[in-house]
Amino acid sequence: MPLILQYEYMQRALFVGLLLSVIVACLGTVMVHKRLSLIGDALSHSSLAGVALGLLLGFNPVLGAMGICIVSALSIEAIRKKLGNHSELAVAIVMSTGIGLAGVLSGFVRSSADFNSFLFGSIVAISGFEARLVMILSVVVLLLFILLYKELFYISFDEQAAAISGVPVGFVNTVFTILTAVTVSIAARTVGALIISSLLVVPVAAAMGIAKSYKTTVLWAIFVSAVSTIGGLVLSFYFGLKPGGTIVLLSVVFFLLFRVIGYLREKHSVKKGA
Amino acid sequence: MLFQILSFILSFAIANHSQLEEVRKEFICSMKFGLKRFFSGILAVSFIAGTAGVLCSCRRGFGKDAEGKVKIVATIFPMYDFAKRIGGDKVAVKMMIPAGTEPHEWEPSTQDMLMLEEADLFVYNGAGMEPWAEDILGSVQNKDLVALEASKDIALLKTAEVHDMEDHDHEEDHDEDEHEHHHHGEYDPHVWLSPKNAEEEMTAIAEALISIDEENADTYRKNLEEAKKQCEELDGAFAEALKPYEGGYIVVAHEAYGYLCRDYGIKQIGIEGVSADQEPDAARMREIIDKVDEYGIKCIFFEELVDPKVAQTIADEAGCGTMALSPLDGLSKEDIDSGRDYFSVMQDNLKALVSAFE
Repeated sequence: MPLILQYEYMQRALFVGLLLSVIVACLGTVMVHKRLSLIGDALSHSSLAGVALGLLLGFNPVLGAMGICIVSALSIEAIRKKLGNHSELAVAIVMSTGIGLAGVLSGFVRSSADFNSFLFGSIVAISGFEARLVMILSVVVLLLFILLYKELFYISFDEQAAAISGVPVGFVNTVFTILTAVTVSIAARTVGALIISSLLVVPVAAAMGIAKSYKTTVLWAIFVSAVSTIGGLVLSFYFGLKPGGTIVLLSVVFFLLFRVIGYLREKHSVKKGA
Repeated sequence: MLFQILSFILSFAIANHSQLEEVRKEFICSMKFGLKRFFSGILAVSFIAGTAGVLCSCRRGFGKDAEGKVKIVATIFPMYDFAKRIGGDKVAVKMMIPAGTEPHEWEPSTQDMLMLEEADLFVYNGAGMEPWAEDILGSVQNKDLVALEASKDIALLKTAEVHDMEDHDHEEDHDEDEHEHHHHGEYDPHVWLSPKNAEEEMTAIAEALISIDEENADTYRKNLEEAKKQCEELDGAFAEALKPYEGGYIVVAHEAYGYLCRDYGIKQIGIEGVSADQEPDAARMREIIDKVDEYGIKCIFFEELVDPKVAQTIADEAGCGTMALSPLDGLSKEDIDSGRDYFSVMQDNLKALVSAFE
């Protein structure tokens, strides 16, 4: 057995990392096509407000974070519809509100120790409970993603046309908004906010550089996200690099690589055509 | 709930705007101005709300009780405790960094600056613990304020000396490249964790107090004598209790115990560097787990102000326990209210250390 698999924390990191990278790539494809690529940042920041609220009012801060994440995500969805061309503003507005609220509320929280312990997540320090939570979450997200695949595809392509042809756009959007919110709130505490908000976007952006269809975009995004996660962990294990940063940078390398490949391929086909 | 209301209002306002825009396209310019005004309105309201929140959450400063006493602002808990011990009832001491806050990530607010304008003496640990201290002293207008760096007479340990020699190179790279606390690069600031150093710091505080308030010099001298005696007792207790375990290793959340280890001949392995808030990398975790196995370490120490998740993961993997060891830099409010002080926390630390070695 290779050294890296002899340690339980690494087994857990690889397993949970792999699961999350797959579902985050699926959710990311939906979010990027809806022009909400910064939703991961917005939600992970807003979840601070939930933690503070939970500590202040005496309920479980993790539930608080999840609740605020869902409310924020639904608010983004609601504002987005009203803004038309400027839908990305919705993310900025909700993120600002979340950060502002967290700032004010945290002023009332007595101990920053409590506060910090609900924000910290590291992929090399995952508890057994968190691993089980991620497993359940992954099954739910994957099932819904496969079940609603056609609807999602249609919505990503043209939301209005989808609505006209009878796709329950509102329902599907709401389901995926809630799924994203729950995933971000759990994953931010499990593997860290950096990994989750980046993997929602960068692998999808990379995939869009070479993929020619919706389906291949999803598959390439999963590939990039999974390979970056595993690769980042391996590098961290053997070379002592920080895992979060390494994973994110690897996915950016994929992005650059795939863009170059896409560009070369296009040039080639143009030449052929001419 | 606030979110829903806010997003409702926002979406409503925005919908109105876009409708208007369609009707009166020629007024697009003025509309943009309106939108601007709308957003600046929101900004202003949130700013006022934020300020109000900050103001009522921490209206601090010296009250009426402080009249006629020497007003001291101390940065972290050990400074606060030492100043109170030496000053007794002749001084009013305020702790700058609120209870339960990890001082590595704290910065002074405008309220803290106001407190300094009122104060007679500012006691900070120095040696890089409060990197902002120099800055704020530069901008305080209070000309009578005496600033005391309590660690000024102490021989400081370099950070490199603190680290376990084997992974010295490895660690130092991290400290210098990756995180923001550059001030930690040079010296280990946690001097007070050695009772001998604590004695030095209290002596420095006593000297400063005597120079400010000659009248009560005798009281300060008497209090210092008492504190010194306690420090010596504590030192003796540590030396005696840890003697059988000389050369032993402890695994701690962050490498704050350099001075303590030096004094009593034990060695620390820090999960993280001298700074408390770093994420460990996978290789470092493996190294520590291997060392725990190799040296037969029975317990991983965590700090109350740092999330024990990493310590717990290592303990699970290596099959050992966890225990709290306090670096004292931020005692929780409950602890302070229940009368815990430097000596009682250090006694608890000693108990924890001994039980980890047994």
